Amino acid sequence: MRYPTKYDSFVGLEIHVQLTTESKIFCGCRNRFGDEPNTNVCPVCMGLPGSLPSLNQEAMSKAYLVAKALHCDLADTCLFERKNYFYPDLPKNYQISQFAKPLGTNGWIDIVVDGVTKRVRIHECHLEEDAGKMIHAGDMSLVDYNRTGTPLLEIVTEPDLNLGEEAEILIHELRRIVRYLGVSDGNMDEGSMRCDANVSVNTKGAGLGRKVEVKNLNSSRFVRLSLNYEIDRQTEILEDGGTVVQETRLWNENRDQTIVMRSKENANDYRYFPEPDLPPFRTTPEFLADLETRIVELPLDRRVRLVSTLGISQTQAEVIGEEKANADYFEKVLEYGADGPTVATWMTGDVQKLLNRTGQSAAESPLTPERFAELLTLMAEGKIHGKIAKTILELVFEKNKNPRVIMAEQGLEQMNDSGELAKLVSQVLVDNPVAVEQIKAGDTKPMGFLMGQVMKASGGRAEPGMVQKMLKEHLG
Amino acid sequence: MTQQINWKETLADGGQKAYIAEVKKRDALVGSFLEFDPPRGKMARPQAEVQTTEELAGIPFAIKDNIALRNFKLTCGSKMLAHFVSPYSATAVEKILAAGGIPVGKTNMDEFGMGSSTDTSALGTTSNPWDLTKVAGGSSGGSAAAVAAGLVPFALGTDTGGSVRQPANFCGVYGLKPTYGAVSRYGLVAYASSLETIGVVAREIPYLEKVFNTIRDQDEKDNTTADWRDFSDPKEGEVTKIGVLTGSLGLDPGVAEAYAQVRQELLALGYEIVEMQLPMLDYAVPAYYTIATAEASANLARFNGIRYGHRPVYSENPEELVQKSRDEGFGAEVKLRILLGTYVLRSGFQDQFYLRAQKIRTALVRDFDKVFSQVDGFLLPVFPTQAFSHGDGGLDPFQQKVADKFTTTANLTGLPALAIPTGVSGGLPTGVQFMAPAFCEDRLFGLARRLKSNLTLGEPPEFPALYAGQEGRS
Repeated sequence: MRYPTKYDSFVGLEIHVQLTTESKIFCGCRNRFGDEPNTNVCPVCMGLPGSLPSLNQEAMSKAYLVAKALHCDLADTCLFERKNYFYPDLPKNYQISQFAKPLGTNGWIDIVVDGVTKRVRIHECHLEEDAGKMIHAGDMSLVDYNRTGTPLLEIVTEPDLNLGEEAEILIHELRRIVRYLGVSDGNMDEGSMRCDANVSVNTKGAGLGRKVEVKNLNSSRFVRLSLNYEIDRQTEILEDGGTVVQETRLWNENRDQTIVMRSKENANDYRYFPEPDLPPFRTTPEFLADLETRIVELPLDRRVRLVSTLGISQTQAEVIGEEKANADYFEKVLEYGADGPTVATWMTGDVQKLLNRTGQSAAESPLTPERFAELLTLMAEGKIHGKIAKTILELVFEKNKNPRVIMAEQGLEQMNDSGELAKLVSQVLVDNPVAVEQIKAGDTKPMGFLMGQVMKASGGRAEPGMVQKMLKEHLG
Repeated sequence: MTQQINWKETLADGGQKAYIAEVKKRDALVGSFLEFDPPRGKMARPQAEVQTTEELAGIPFAIKDNIALRNFKLTCGSKMLAHFVSPYSATAVEKILAAGGIPVGKTNMDEFGMGSSTDTSALGTTSNPWDLTKVAGGSSGGSAAAVAAGLVPFALGTDTGGSVRQPANFCGVYGLKPTYGAVSRYGLVAYASSLETIGVVAREIPYLEKVFNTIRDQDEKDNTTADWRDFSDPKEGEVTKIGVLTGSLGLDPGVAEAYAQVRQELLALGYEIVEMQLPMLDYAVPAYYTIATAEASANLARFNGIRYGHRPVYSENPEELVQKSRDEGFGAEVKLRILLGTYVLRSGFQDQFYLRAQKIRTALVRDFDKVFSQVDGFLLPVFPTQAFSHGDGGLDPFQQKVADKFTTTANLTGLPALAIPTGVSGGLPTGVQFMAPAFCEDRLFGLARRLKSNLTLGEPPEFPALYAGQEGRS
C-alpha cells in the first residue's frame, strides 16, 4: 500500500563491512570467524590496562581500496577518533572510529534497477574496530571478544534510494564489489556485512522528511522488508495527518515489523575526540601506487562489458559475473580461442551442474580453461557432437585428463567415414523391414526410430547429419 | 649494615637477605612499596642468561604501580585494580630487563596518577623520607620516596602533569620527564595519553642517563613513539645560553631562595642568562586539566568490572554491574576527573572547553618554539612549595592543581624536562627544573652534572645511602 504519486520516500544506508585481514586492526590477534570463544584475544583487544592500539596497515589499504572502488575522494590525511559509549561487548568502552576526517568522501555506486542504471551517492567511508559479541543465555550474559578489533569499514550512502528493493540491490552490488576486491566475504549470515538504514517519507517534492533509523537488519531480505514496512508505516501516519517521530527502530523478524528501540531524546552523546594513541594516517605515493595495482574492474562494469562485447545474454553475464574468479575463468577460456556465447551456454549449463555436483569452483576443478576450450574445439572440428561432448565433459571431471585424450582412449571420435556409415545404415535397413515398409508407404514417423538404431549401432558416434542424409537417400 | 656496598651485590645470593630486611625496615616507615618481592622480580628474566657486561646487570629497581610487570600486580593505587595481576610487561620494563636490571617491586602512587601527594592512593600511605609527616609528592610518590630512602638506585615513574618531577623535587632526587614519544607508553596504564610519558627517578645522574638511554626507542606497539636517532641535537648536548622564567611566580620563600641561588650558580658557571616570560603560562593549568580529564574520561571507561577489576558482590544486570563496579572501585578524585572530562567533551560544549584547551596547547608550543630559538635550555621552578604535610595541613586538591603550572608546560608541549635537587631548606629538599628542545635530553643531563659540583645536596638524615653505585655517590 504505497502512494507513489503523493509522497516521496528516501532511504540511506549505513553498511558495515568486515575486512578480511590476517590480523585484527589494532593488534596481532587472528581475525577469524567461528573460533572457540575468547581464543583470539590479547591485552590490546581485551582492553587490558596499559595496552595500546597499533594500526594494521593492511586494514588501511583494504579500506582505501573500497573507497577508491566507490569513487570516493581519498583523504590524504585521515584521523581516528574515540566514540565513547558503555557496552559490555566493547572492551575499552570507547570504539576507535573515524569522525571528522574519514578516509573517503563524496563517492558513488551504480546499481541496476529494472534494467535502468541508478547512481547512489556515497557520503563517506570510514574505518573502525568491531565490538565483541554478547550472548544472553537464560539469566546469564556471556561475551565473546574474538570479534573485537576486527577491521570494520562503514559505508554511508546519501538518502538516494527510494524503495526497499533498491536497497537490497545496492547491498548485493556492494557485496560483489568487496568480494571482487578480495577485501571481505560480504557474508551477511556470519555478520561480515551488516546494515542500518535511515528512512523518511515526505509530501512529494518537499524534500527529506523526519528520519527514522532502522537497525538489526542482518539479511538483505530484511533490509527490503523492513524498509518497505517503514515507508508504508510512515506514509500512513502522514495520510492520517500525523507526524513521524524521529527515533531508532528495530526490525523484528518474527513479527515482520519494526518496533521502537529509542527516541531521539535518548540518543547517545558519543563525545568524539581525536584518538591520542594513533597519529593521523597519511597516504604516501607508494601507498596510492599500491592501490592502483590492487584495483579491479568492478562487477557491474564487467557484466556490461561481457554483454556488449562478447554477445552473451544478460542472465548469463549475471551468473558468470557474480564472482570474479568465475568471470576470470570465463575470459580465460575465451583466450584459448573459444566463442563467448558457446562458452557461456556450457558454463551456465552442463559445467555448472557438474561443479554443483562435485562442490568445486570452476577454477579449482579438473576442467582447466584450456581443457574447456579443447572440448569446444573438438565439437567445432566435427570430431564429436553435443551428446558425446557431455560424456567427455563428465569424464574430464572423473579422470582429470584432457578431452582429446579421453576421446581417443574411449574411442569416442565421431564416425564420419561415409563407407563405414553406409554399412551401418544398410544393416539397420535390413534388420528393420517393417519400418522400412511403413516409410515407403508414406508414413515418415519411423524415420526417427531408424536414426536411433543407427546411432545405437555406432555407439552414439555416428555423425547424425550424414546418417540422416543416407537414410533419406535410401528411402526417399 | 655500616659499610656501603655496590648495588650490584644487593641481590646476589650473599646479600639478598640483608637487603630485603633493610628495605622492609625502612619501608615500614616510608611506605613506598605496594608490593616488594625481589625473588619474584628475579624470575622476570632467567638470571643465568644475564651477562655481567650488561648495562644494568644485577641492579635492583622499582616500578610505579601503573606500569606493567608480568606476574606482579598493576593496581594504579586503586581499589578498582587492587587484585589485578598483569599478564604482560611494559616495553620500557622489558628493555631494562634486557639490560640486566632486576625489578624488586611496585611503588605507591596517587590513584591512576591523579594527584600531587600520593595521598589519593586507595592502597597505602607514602611519606617523605626527609620528614615522615610530609608527603612524598605525586603521583609517582612511591618511586621518589623509594629512591630517596635508599631502597633502590632508580625507579620508573610516569609524568602526566609533573608526576615524576614534583615528587622527585619533594624527595631531593632527580626526576626526568623525557620527550613525548621517546619512550614507549605500552604497558603504562593510560590516564591522559597525549600528555604522559614514562620517566625516571634516580639519586645519581649516571643512573638517570643510563636508564633513559636504555628505555628510549621506537616501539611498534606504541604508534606515538619516534626514533630518537632521527632527531639529533644540533648543539650535541652543549648549552651556553639559558632562559630563566621570571615574573611573579608565587614561590614559597625556600623555593624562591633556591631558584635565585641556581641562577647565581649558572652565572658563576659561565652560562649566559636570558630572562624570559611565558605569556601562556597562566592558561597552562586550565588547558592541562581540560585535556587530561577529557582523555581520562575515555581511558578509565575500560574499568567496568566485566573482564577484570573490582566487581560488586551482586548485580541484577550488566548495566548495574558496570555502575556498581565503578562506584565502589574509584576514589573521589578519580570520579571528579572523569566527570569533569565527560563534561568538557559533551557535544555542543567542545568549542568552549576541549577545543579551546587544544588552542592554548598549540599557543604554548609556539611560545616554546620561540624560547628555544633564543636559548639552549630553560630554567623554571618545579612546584611553588616544598613538600607539604599529609592531610588537612597540606594543600587542598584545588591548590595542588593550581600549583601544577610549572610542570604541566612540559606535558602540554611534549618537551623533555628534568627536576634537579638543589639542596635543603628547613629540613626539606629544594629543587628546580630545566626544559630543553625535543629529544635534547643530553642537554639536561649536562646541566645537572655541571650544577651538581656547585651544590650541596645532602641526604635524608634517617635514611643514609646504603649502597654505592658503580660510580659511587660524591
